[in-house]
Amino acid sequence: MGRDGRMIEPELLSMEALESAMARIASRPLLLHSPTIRFVLAPGDRALVAPGEAVLPGTPLAERTPDAAFVDVGRITFVPVGEPAPTAPEGAPDAPSEAATAAVEGAYETKVAPKHSLSFPKRAAIWHGGSRPSPDVPPLSGPERRCPPSPGKWWVGGVDLRGRSHRRRSAPRRIAGTLLFEVGGRWHAAAGERHEIVEAPAAGIICEARNGIHITMTLSGIAIPAAVGAGGAARGYLDVPRLADGELWASALDVGRAGAIVVAGSRISAQGISRARAMSIRGLIAASVGQGELRDLAASETRQRASLHQPAPFGLLSFDGHQRRPMASPVLALLAALAGRDVAIVTDPPMLVFDVEDLALPEIAPDWVRVRSGPHAGREGRYLSPAGMHQFRVGINLEAAFVRLGDDLAPTVVSMSDLERFV
Amino acid sequence: MKRQPRAFFALDFGSATTSAALIGRVGIRWRLVAHAAAPASTPLDLQLFDLLGKVHAADADLLASFNPDSGLDGRPDITALAAILPRLEARSTPPRRIAVLAGSRRQRIQLESAASRAGWLVVSGSADEDDPVTLSRLVLSPNVGAVLLGADHSPSGDEKRHLPMLAALVAAADRCRSELTVVLAGGAGVHEGAFPEAYGRAVVAVPTASAATSAAAEAGGTTAAVARSHNVLIAPESAAGEPAGAALQQVLEGLRAESNDSRLGFARSISSLASVLDRSIEGIEIGLQGGLRCRAERLTAGSKTIVSWHAAPASASFAPPDPDDATIEGLVAWSPVALDRYRVTDRLRDLRIFPWGDVEGDGALLRAAAAKAATERAIVATPDISARPMADLIVAGGGTWASMPAPLAALALADLVRRPGVSRLAVDHARLLGPLGAIEDEAERCDMLSDLADDLLVLLGTVIMPAGMRQGRSAGKLTVRPGEPKTAAEAGRTIAVPPIELDMRPGSLEAIDLAPGQTATVAMEFRDNVRLTNRGRNFAVDVDGGLVGLLVDLREVPLRVSDRSEARRAALEAWQRVVWAETDG
Repeated sequence: MGRDGRMIEPELLSMEALESAMARIASRPLLLHSPTIRFVLAPGDRALVAPGEAVLPGTPLAERTPDAAFVDVGRITFVPVGEPAPTAPEGAPDAPSEAATAAVEGAYETKVAPKHSLSFPKRAAIWHGGSRPSPDVPPLSGPERRCPPSPGKWWVGGVDLRGRSHRRRSAPRRIAGTLLFEVGGRWHAAAGERHEIVEAPAAGIICEARNGIHITMTLSGIAIPAAVGAGGAARGYLDVPRLADGELWASALDVGRAGAIVVAGSRISAQGISRARAMSIRGLIAASVGQGELRDLAASETRQRASLHQPAPFGLLSFDGHQRRPMASPVLALLAALAGRDVAIVTDPPMLVFDVEDLALPEIAPDWVRVRSGPHAGREGRYLSPAGMHQFRVGINLEAAFVRLGDDLAPTVVSMSDLERFV
Repeated sequence: MKRQPRAFFALDFGSATTSAALIGRVGIRWRLVAHAAAPASTPLDLQLFDLLGKVHAADADLLASFNPDSGLDGRPDITALAAILPRLEARSTPPRRIAVLAGSRRQRIQLESAASRAGWLVVSGSADEDDPVTLSRLVLSPNVGAVLLGADHSPSGDEKRHLPMLAALVAAADRCRSELTVVLAGGAGVHEGAFPEAYGRAVVAVPTASAATSAAAEAGGTTAAVARSHNVLIAPESAAGEPAGAALQQVLEGLRAESNDSRLGFARSISSLASVLDRSIEGIEIGLQGGLRCRAERLTAGSKTIVSWHAAPASASFAPPDPDDATIEGLVAWSPVALDRYRVTDRLRDLRIFPWGDVEGDGALLRAAAAKAATERAIVATPDISARPMADLIVAGGGTWASMPAPLAALALADLVRRPGVSRLAVDHARLLGPLGAIEDEAERCDMLSDLADDLLVLLGTVIMPAGMRQGRSAGKLTVRPGEPKTAAEAGRTIAVPPIELDMRPGSLEAIDLAPGQTATVAMEFRDNVRLTNRGRNFAVDVDGGLVGLLVDLREVPLRVSDRSEARRAALEAWQRVVWAETDG
């Protein structure tokens, strides 16, 4: 500062000095190549893919059991393929018919002696007399069918296994899930009637797939990392309704944007989220989203999962966090370049994925910085020079820098710890 | 022939920031030459070059003397020097999550307490409250790195009947997830036969009653080495040790922490410092991934044995990963300015994402409130330390305290560590205690701390905190007789400093200027018997000055503040104004 209180124009740095000074500023990657993502599974969920398998967008990855309940499966006797079934144990004279009627679909080598069993002839009549359940559950893979029962193995059971009366149903229902553990020779499982398919949001290679635990995959595309992700993985075309850093009005989210992932500007409102879901929009992207809005979204997700129909996947991304601030201009430029293309929202870790090879990357000046937090949060400008130790408000001394923010004529002193640069 | 290096770097790799200090041999002692902290994303080499560059600018000869390869007249090559100087490193162990399973709610709470004190993020369930699918979900979650299944040594009926099922459930999870480490505590150990596929077992003996003593901190590294090569551990029951749970805490701590964990290093250094300074010391360290509260003191006056306690609850993070309503309420309660709860939640979560930002202005006040709320959680988690008398010295450590303005740090310590007594307040400003705790040899560590004792702590001042005064009238008179300033005494000059008299009004907080290095004698005459160092009316104590000076804290012990938010904020603001005039900006 000069004697008259006006800011003195700092000297411009040489290229070498600028590089050295910029290296002291926290870096923020603009793009990630071939990131690894994860889908967390729960007991009752199974992976439909195997490690090393290449998947395309839309390939079924996993089958979730949203209302998995504890099921006492009973004894399961493993019979290797090609060997005759063992004789029925004493006290279970009709066990061979049970092996047929318990109908562990695909698990032809196992026999199940359920705990809550009705009389076996009745069960047989129910199974064969009623219409066969629709094949909404993909069959087990060959290797899985051939292995003995073990924790995590897919298991399919019949109506009686849940202890419910068959009279209330017009057709038998099948429950399926994963085996949990064995106590005293009896197996227990997490299983349910309803199942949901999780599809791959982008192309990639499966790294790890374990029933009830997780699936990890390395994407073949490129991603823009985000700070916060909510909802689920979703895919759609990118709709960039406005490029200014304002906030998108909820009324702009109409049915014409169904199937799109919409860039909503600086902030996502709770009203915008509700409306987007109602209009079958696949996702929203903004610079920030408040914790209150995330809480509303989680509650809405829970309600939707309780319904009979599988909800359409909906994802939400925030690039900067929770406090309101404008979207970074390099990110906005990238999104503008991607407008109309297919992109995917991934939430673990949060990122926006795309497969575009020939994307024109925005040019970022070597001295371009953004204020990440503090009173100037969200503003961008050019780094001029270091300002040394500077006393800020409430008497705090911090290492600072001169930055020309936006179109300001005078440089602004910003704490180095509040700055970020794009790499 | 190369000479031995006469300097080394002490590096504390925190989750949010990295602190680098240059410690050099000056004369016959090790001294702190320079230090700096930078966001964890800053390249370390760059940080070290900057540090050495500043030393070179200030005293090039001193820097040259640290170079083992340079001649007396050689100009030091900073790049080479940064590469060749030895490095003493401590590192914040990344947070790890443990699933705690028990047969009964009572047992689950005990196990949870031990795991939480050991620094684990805890998810828990008990067979009498949760169904097996919920329990399986806990242990199969890929975010969980270990499972603790525990029972009493002789489990009673309520948990005994659930144990076979729980053991089978955990064994099944272990089959699915070979990376999982299983700890069978107490009576659950009899079910180790359920883990036939485990690739190793280790039995950890029950530590003796001295588990809470100095051996506890030392054993951490040893246990860690054992744990790394096994995935099933047989551990003591949740009530073993003194205090209850200390034995299990020790095992779990070794399982979680890396050998050079900075938080445990801090506790080890406090223990050594208590031996070097011959004082009882309480340490409070708050960071992004958790906090630590420890205490060390001589067993008895004149004894050479140091006893120590410590706990490192992950909940004492200043920006917890998933702050619940209670966490937000705790932060708002310590804020002197009105805060909207939703906005605070957003700011706290942003602090988690970008922990080194928002340090100035309102951000400083928010950070101070977050640090106080975190310290309060650490204090609640350590009732055994709170039960001890006021320590002679209270040391605040970690990036949060090091970056906090000194008056705010002193006030926070006085607000939170409330027991009758007289205590010096200090901050580990260069974050040296963590790296020095990584020195394995106790004697070597004590020698180093002895040399660095004057450098490693910045004294904030002294707090006098009497308890048991009658409200509504003057409690008595206090007279401060400052000693001669140290510089004047060294110069052989005598400066007459007039005594300061103060009428002691219960409920008030007074700050008296007493510069760093200055000492004083405080005489107090109370109207009634009060508790200070002991119970009485007349006291005379020696105090040390510091960045804040002498705090005469006549507020209630424990601190009582109005439940009404406006009155509470007014009180907090008034107390803050006593020590920190810059609040108005």
